Amino acid sequence: MSLLVTGLNHHTSAIEVREKLAFRPDSIPAAVCELRKRLDDAGVVILSTCNRVEIYAHHSTLDADALFERVCAFLAQWHGTALEEFQSSLYTHSNLEAVGHLFRVAASLDSLVLGEAQILGQVHEAYLTAQTEQAADKVIHQLFQKAFAIAKSVRSETEIGAGNVSISSVAVDLAASIFEDLAGKTVMVIGSGQMSELTLKSLVSRGVREVIVVNRNFERARAMAEPYGGEVLAFDALDEHLHRGDIIISSTAAPRFILHPDQFQRALKQRSQEPMFVIDIAVPRDVEPSVGDLDNVYLYNMDDLEQVVGENLDTRRQEAERGLGIVQRGVEQFEQWMRAVVAEPTITSMAEECHRIRQEELDKTLAALPDLTDKQRQEVAYLTERVVKRMLQSPMTQIKHEIGHHDPHTVLHLVRQLFGLKETQ
Amino acid sequence: MEWGIGLFFYTGAALYVLAALMAVLYLQGGSQLTLGWTTGLTAAGALCLTLVLGLRWAVFHRVPLTTPADSINLMVLLCTAITIPMERKEALRPLICFYLHPLALLCVITALMAHGDLRTPPRELRSSMLALHVGMAFLAYALFFMASMTSLAYIAKARHLKRHSTTGLFHRLPSLEQLDHTLYRLIRAGYPLFGVTLAVGLMWTHTDRALLGTHWYLAPKILLSLAMAAFFSMAFHGRRKGILRGPKLANFVFVGFSVFLAVYVVTALLHLREYNFWGNPG
Repeated sequence: MSLLVTGLNHHTSAIEVREKLAFRPDSIPAAVCELRKRLDDAGVVILSTCNRVEIYAHHSTLDADALFERVCAFLAQWHGTALEEFQSSLYTHSNLEAVGHLFRVAASLDSLVLGEAQILGQVHEAYLTAQTEQAADKVIHQLFQKAFAIAKSVRSETEIGAGNVSISSVAVDLAASIFEDLAGKTVMVIGSGQMSELTLKSLVSRGVREVIVVNRNFERARAMAEPYGGEVLAFDALDEHLHRGDIIISSTAAPRFILHPDQFQRALKQRSQEPMFVIDIAVPRDVEPSVGDLDNVYLYNMDDLEQVVGENLDTRRQEAERGLGIVQRGVEQFEQWMRAVVAEPTITSMAEECHRIRQEELDKTLAALPDLTDKQRQEVAYLTERVVKRMLQSPMTQIKHEIGHHDPHTVLHLVRQLFGLKETQ
Repeated sequence: MEWGIGLFFYTGAALYVLAALMAVLYLQGGSQLTLGWTTGLTAAGALCLTLVLGLRWAVFHRVPLTTPADSINLMVLLCTAITIPMERKEALRPLICFYLHPLALLCVITALMAHGDLRTPPRELRSSMLALHVGMAFLAYALFFMASMTSLAYIAKARHLKRHSTTGLFHRLPSLEQLDHTLYRLIRAGYPLFGVTLAVGLMWTHTDRALLGTHWYLAPKILLSLAMAAFFSMAFHGRRKGILRGPKLANFVFVGFSVFLAVYVVTALLHLREYNFWGNPG
């Protein structure tokens, strides 16, 4: 029995190579069926995202090398690419290494952005496609179910997903740690710029409804405010309306500070000291740094936001270590399950062999005792059945125990020899 | 029955201490599961302490509010009860970790120092008004205590935000606005309740002249209560009018309550609390 994962990702290949091997979402079901055919009805899952293309395969007889060769040939043929063009970028893991790899991928410990949540959904989608195409066999099913459980444990038991790692998301996170509900809040954007638009977009997606755009260029302000049904204000009106902004994003091209502490003091008085979150993403800065010393004003410039991004990334890296521990435990549990699966055919044939012998001997005995009534015959049959069952109970328990602690193939070989069973794959 | 009281009391105290330890783990980066355990252990501890109060009531056939142990138990229970509505709001759930350490400390103090016997109250105090007055007073104290701990959480969160640091406690705490609203709600509930408590106390003393001695205005308990009412009145009206808001209110409440607590402990250690209303040391 072999389990294999082969593929490429952002660590091993350039985007040009990944593009060549990526599967279009609508082509994955057909690809799964085709690959399954080529692997003699193996269990197959194809995971194709923007950062990775991976094929998981399980076969009860083919070994990992044979599986790898066939998968490579399939990839080359399906995408109409020469094997040499991508072979050097491929990685491959078999058996427990493959298990550990999937668990790391699903738990987002192998992602480009460590701890991102999207990958779990993509793995789930890949598994569902395989299941729909009846390409998920018993081992694949158990493997992916375990991967989902491990991913959930990593997410809930560690801080792998805590804190955002992009400037605009961090700004939204900070706003959410100041305000209870962003839905009722007003964002005031002063000036324009790609970053301020991105931040505004993120805030609106989190529920902010009221948008005010202040700009010296009225047309530009209107263009920015229009998609959000926002209000446009002339730059001269900024002082008068500053108190209306709960979140202020400033990114003008002004050569010197345009917002000073006294303006904020007045604004705070007008808004009964309700807190204000000021994001100064202009370089040079728009807001005088001493504004940040005022009570109820939380001022963040580009450096501060980048510092938060850095801290969040550090936290995720530290948490990844804990996540790997959870993955390792999961691999060990899966190994136990795999060993039990390997033992299943031997245990079944051992039981069948014993029952066959019992039946043979029972038939002989009953033939020699023709005077027995039906009830007596039944009793004798039950007796032999009970004897066999009881005699098998202890070896079965012991086999399961032994294969959990020793090489299962050695243990099973011994059992087959002891009971005179045929060798199985 | 008395062994049952002891068993439940020490189990309850141990559960609060365990919950406080879990709270430390959670605040240091524990998972939601750790928070769940913290809440569960607190609930179990509160159940044990409720049983203690119930059993003592059943054994002594009297409202058990005349010993420090019972008063502290009641305080711990009321604080825990106040967290129940907070637990319904996901973002406020971690706040319990801020309240638990002093509550666990109170349990330990009771376990080490307080006596389990029920004092026979003086004749003047054998009234149902005792339960009403003391119950309301302790509920108000519980609200003030929780307001001060919420202030501490606010100060910690605001400091993180001012320093542009999002590590450690930052992700554990609710938003500043939620903390500010919670703080205001606690004061808004505690301040009028405390006013009513004082009014009930005043009415009670009018039913029996023996309760109010000639030197009642010198009794530390009365002076402290009046000062506390005035203090929280300032906090309430200051916040309502927007004069005290955010870090100012949080600092005001936390420092103020800490001073009251310190004065209370000092007067207790100097046995000044036992100064009776007739002007004689107890």
